[in-house]
Amino acid sequence: MRWGLLGLVAVLALVLSVVLGPAAVPLGELLHSDIVWNLRAPRALLAFLVGGSLGVAGAGLQALVRNPLADPFLLGLSGGAGLGAVLAIALHLPGPWALPIAAFIGALAALGLVYRLGLIGGASLDPRILLLGGVAIGAFAAAITTAIVALADAAELRNAFLWLWGGLSGASWDSVLLVALYAPIPLAVLLASSRPLDLLALGEESAGYLGADVERVKRRVYVAASLLTAAAVAVSGVIGFVGLVVPHIARLVWGHRHRSLLPAAFLGGGALLAFADTLARTVVAPRELPVGVVTALIGVPVFAVLLRRWTIA
Amino acid sequence: MLRKLVLGVLLVGACHTSARRHEVEPARRIVSLLPSFTELLFAIGAGDRVVGRTRWCDYPPAALSIPSVGDGLPPNIEAVMARQPDLVVLYNAGPNVRAAKQLERAGIQTVLIDLNRLEDLGPAARTLGRLTGREEQAESLAIALDSLAGRPPPPSTTSLAFIVWDNPPIIIGHGSYLDQLASQAGARNVFGDVAAPSAQVSLETIVARDPQWIAVLADSAMTPAFAKRREWRAVRAVRGGRFLLLPGSLFGRPGPRSAQAIRELREKLEHDEVGAQHAAPLHRGTNP
Repeated sequence: MRWGLLGLVAVLALVLSVVLGPAAVPLGELLHSDIVWNLRAPRALLAFLVGGSLGVAGAGLQALVRNPLADPFLLGLSGGAGLGAVLAIALHLPGPWALPIAAFIGALAALGLVYRLGLIGGASLDPRILLLGGVAIGAFAAAITTAIVALADAAELRNAFLWLWGGLSGASWDSVLLVALYAPIPLAVLLASSRPLDLLALGEESAGYLGADVERVKRRVYVAASLLTAAAVAVSGVIGFVGLVVPHIARLVWGHRHRSLLPAAFLGGGALLAFADTLARTVVAPRELPVGVVTALIGVPVFAVLLRRWTIA
Repeated sequence: MLRKLVLGVLLVGACHTSARRHEVEPARRIVSLLPSFTELLFAIGAGDRVVGRTRWCDYPPAALSIPSVGDGLPPNIEAVMARQPDLVVLYNAGPNVRAAKQLERAGIQTVLIDLNRLEDLGPAARTLGRLTGREEQAESLAIALDSLAGRPPPPSTTSLAFIVWDNPPIIIGHGSYLDQLASQAGARNVFGDVAAPSAQVSLETIVARDPQWIAVLADSAMTPAFAKRREWRAVRAVRGGRFLLLPGSLFGRPGPRSAQAIRELREKLEHDEVGAQHAAPLHRGTNP
């Protein structure tokens, strides 16, 4: 029943985002339209894949650091990606893919640094240090980024921030293919860690007694969730909120078992982002809203209603 | 409403100061914090009194030998004061209003001038003329600029979209200088219905509005990188390589060279139109 409903919502979100748009495309020409085929369809799929990835990455990270405020972008990745993007513009790196690739590399660099910081206390990855390290590395990268923007000559540098908060305008079949080939690997790793993640919720010590290889699980989950987020930021910039709230909503409805929580977070995140992007493109047409604004405007009320219902019940 | 009121008070304040001091003597050491103001000052013959400029002030060539005080927005107060100006000319915008107050407190006369559209040019020239004692030159320039701004645009023979940034796509809307430039050159801005000077739009809107040209402010002659991205190939003008690459120094700012910018844009449109029609004889019928 719950799954059927979620599946229906997901399909509906995808269909709506292909049917609706600022340009008027008659229903009869939907299948032959260049706009639908080359712009809307890849954008809808990319939104779904990115939203789903962020949802799963958020659920995994929240379990890992045992902190309900954990967000995929909290661990320094957005700062690293922003620095990469600004460097690509400042150094005039050529080619249509220079920006996303540089952002991806920047996110990976931040991931590496935060990971290294997380191991500072020894071989054990300390979730608290991960969080602190993520915030610190993110702030550090943001400071360098701001310095470059302030000092460098290129006027278009200021636009790097637009790109970073840019949403899904860059969607094409190329980017869909890229994410569709890339994301299943970290997604599968996270899904395979469902059972140890359940145990981790009981505390690291108890999880160890119950047979989980805690250190390996933590490392695997952290790296997989961050790799998902890095890909998301490379193709669509920093889209806030999906990775924070969707896991909570999924947890309220599906409970704490990651075997069902993670797929629910994927479908829910995908549906939310696809739906939010449809609104972003259409409500103020011909203008467009930043999609992060819409995810927050939809996500918070849904979250509040669910929170109220479940805490009263 | 409140903002207008505040600006009004500030402007009255600024003009009041200017009037009072002007009775004493015209400005001798001027720092200009907008490329357009620098061009206007040179055009009214007060260029030799400009002792500070922004790093973007690159015209006329003589301006390049004036020391730069940085990028101007927001102004570096210390760098400006180090030039020991008796007049600082600022563009009327948020951070500059604060900077002007700071400079006034330090005893330096300032003036905040609106310069967003063609019709702002004449008044700006007159204000600068009054402050520098070059009223006559300023008046004759202002008359030319006013007539340029008042000229009804020719019927548009082609259409374009100004792309400021590609991801997300940011376009130029109605109410901007570039929009005026296009219509005066005989090209309809396909986003002329967007009230804001610039706005984020969806790529599919650009595809649907199908501009003949994609205009980009660019200092290189290279087609922008986004032309190679697959999602942009959905735009017909991008597929056809119909880019107008406009150097920012001439096209990106209102100033005494606006008439030249309009003329050159029109030539680009007509010249390339002829070329395009040779390539595609189907459209020859539209050419008179």
